[in-house]
Amino acid sequence: MNASTAALLAGLVLLFPLAGSALCGLLGPVLGRRFVNLAGTLSIGAAFAVTLVIFVQVLGAASGHQSTTATLWNWLNLGPGNLNVSVDVTIDQLSVLMLLVITGVGLLIHVYSVGYMEHDPGVARFFGYMNLFIFSMALLVLAANMVILIIGWAAVALSSYLLIGFWYERESAVLAARKAFITQVIGDVALVIAAFLIFVNLTTVPPTCPPTEVCALPAFFTQHLHTLSLPQIFAHASSLGAGSPLITLICILLAVGAFAKSAQFPLHTWLPDAMEGPTPVSALIHAATMVTAGVYLIARFHALFALAPIASGMVACVGMGTAVMAGFIALSQVDIKRVIAYSTMSQIGLMIFAVGIGAYAAGMYQFLLHAFFKALLFLAAGNVIHAVHDEQDIREMGGLDSRMRVTAWCFLVGSLALAGFLFAGMFSKENLLGFGMINGPGAPTLYIVGIVVNVLTGLYAFRLYGTTFRGEPRSEAARNAHESKAVMLWPVVILAGLSALAGWILQWPVAFGPHLIDAFLNPVFASPGGSHIAKAPGLGLGVIGFVIGLTCSLIGIAIALRIWVRHDLDPSRVLARPGFRLLPRLSFNKLYFDEIYDALLVRPTRALARGLRRVGDPVMDSWIKGVSGVATDFSSAFRTIQTGLIRDYASYMVLFVVIFTVAVMLAAGLAK
Amino acid sequence: MTLSQSMFPWILLTAAFLFTLGALGVLIRRNPLVVFMCIELMLNAVNLALVGYSSYLNSEEGQVFAFMVIVVAAAEVVVGLGLLTRVFSIGRELDVDDLDEMKQ
Repeated sequence: MNASTAALLAGLVLLFPLAGSALCGLLGPVLGRRFVNLAGTLSIGAAFAVTLVIFVQVLGAASGHQSTTATLWNWLNLGPGNLNVSVDVTIDQLSVLMLLVITGVGLLIHVYSVGYMEHDPGVARFFGYMNLFIFSMALLVLAANMVILIIGWAAVALSSYLLIGFWYERESAVLAARKAFITQVIGDVALVIAAFLIFVNLTTVPPTCPPTEVCALPAFFTQHLHTLSLPQIFAHASSLGAGSPLITLICILLAVGAFAKSAQFPLHTWLPDAMEGPTPVSALIHAATMVTAGVYLIARFHALFALAPIASGMVACVGMGTAVMAGFIALSQVDIKRVIAYSTMSQIGLMIFAVGIGAYAAGMYQFLLHAFFKALLFLAAGNVIHAVHDEQDIREMGGLDSRMRVTAWCFLVGSLALAGFLFAGMFSKENLLGFGMINGPGAPTLYIVGIVVNVLTGLYAFRLYGTTFRGEPRSEAARNAHESKAVMLWPVVILAGLSALAGWILQWPVAFGPHLIDAFLNPVFASPGGSHIAKAPGLGLGVIGFVIGLTCSLIGIAIALRIWVRHDLDPSRVLARPGFRLLPRLSFNKLYFDEIYDALLVRPTRALARGLRRVGDPVMDSWIKGVSGVATDFSSAFRTIQTGLIRDYASYMVLFVVIFTVAVMLAAGLAK
Repeated sequence: MTLSQSMFPWILLTAAFLFTLGALGVLIRRNPLVVFMCIELMLNAVNLALVGYSSYLNSEEGQVFAFMVIVVAAAEVVVGLGLLTRVFSIGRELDVDDLDEMKQ
């Protein structure tokens, strides 16, 4: 693909959602619901079609890293040696894969939204925001320099904020939106600082002075690249000094940005609250695409992470830690969307773990399949919520499988895919964990933790399925539930089909061998810093890992089915033992993270603000009142001389004439 | 030294004396007519000084200026007396201390 084709295609992918957003948002309220439904979905459909063209082009090209960078237009040029930003886009295997999911899954979710938002008066605003999100996300993955990347990065946070707070009459939605945005901004700041560090410290030639020290000015200007262009950054990454504190710091900052976006510990608390938004939003932004941007970021910056083993190890640990933590919390949540949100957090933890140990293709594989089955679970949950009249508490559901057959079957497919049996998750998760056996810090410690995650996943996935769909209805609404309309069923069915088949297709015929995504993406990660790529486990080890993982998933599923479907196993006796007594409370209260943050950050900040106000107000007041008081006193003193008597004015005149005359004469006398 | 040149300091002193007299009158007297006459006195004191300088410096410019001053003074008196008759005709007392509306 040459640069002009790339610019045209990438420009179209960006243009369609942006135009759709403008049309829906600006003209939608005037032209009505049918126009909005059409414009909002067709724009994404068009973007998807263009993405397919790009995909075919990339697939048809010769093997190797097919990276084409094109400049759309020059934005800012401060001359040689200074900042020079143009709107650059990169098309390579990684960005195409991301685009396929963003526009493809995005299209299905937009179609679903037509049904879901049928009775909502703000539908024009909704589609305007959704299209804006698709545009921002496409910009983020297409960006070829850090400025554009950061713009996309912040714009997805903005559209996420707008959509979480979509029902702005609800206080909880507004608070959740604010919380999400503030957490995102922490990541944005880290990313911006990383960009500054790269911009200042990257050098073209082998530096004559170490990059950690301050060079003399001329040397500084001749050596330093001063670029934010990603291909150049990666090409010269080694000049930052492999393993140096500087590159470790840059990578940790990038990772913090990724953690905030992907809801990883300790910046994860916003994701469950983000479920306040409409369900299609949760499916698109908070499951399939935006929250995986952190995985994409680390995969995209693999050339830097290859040089910073400490930062990579930290990423892997945080990912796996979040996976276990979120799985544990998901076990006892009662809100159907929150359970899925915690499972998202857990699955993304696994992806972050994968990119942390260098198994980038495995992480992206998990991203692809996760997008299918998690969007499926959310949309199916949306059908359930619709059917039981906006009830989200699973204790009020039950017995829905006979009332909503299609949704129940699709949800079962999604749960199996999530738990990792037969469908999508079985391939990507076992593949990913297989890499964990021989890679990463202290291998195979994290792998063993990963097996625990497998058990937990099986447990919470089938707890959710069992309590929602099986047994007897536990409320009037659940008893009267009906299946949703076709427009809300077809996307779910298509996603169920993808979740069921994608793994088999991509990995035919061996479930534990190399997969097509691996072959597709590896050239990207091999180009600079290829030594960092994780070693795949051999065939024997792969089979063993696959069997262990599958067994653990099945153990989790089996226990869950006995507890929550057949009710012949009661966990309360185990949990009543002294060592376990705390566990349910910890899980139900989400490990008290919100309370801890409240006590450590929110309350001290508020107290500080109040204290400062108590101290500061009098000080500031005394200043301001002092200034105004002087002015008042001054003016009231001068007001008295305005008597209105000509006599007085004439006196002043005479007085000052005399004074000036005397002064001039004195000055003349002194000058002599 | 000619006579006029030797008289020059006295001329200036007389002008200063007349000027001070006029200024004091403007400041002290309450009858606007008298105030006007005092202003005229000040103007004439200036005229005297101008003419005195003219003679001392052997230059006509001072005398030309004096004529200008006389013309302006006449015009000023016309305006001033017009104002005074208006004030008198609306029934106000002719007292400068009473005319203090400019205060507001």
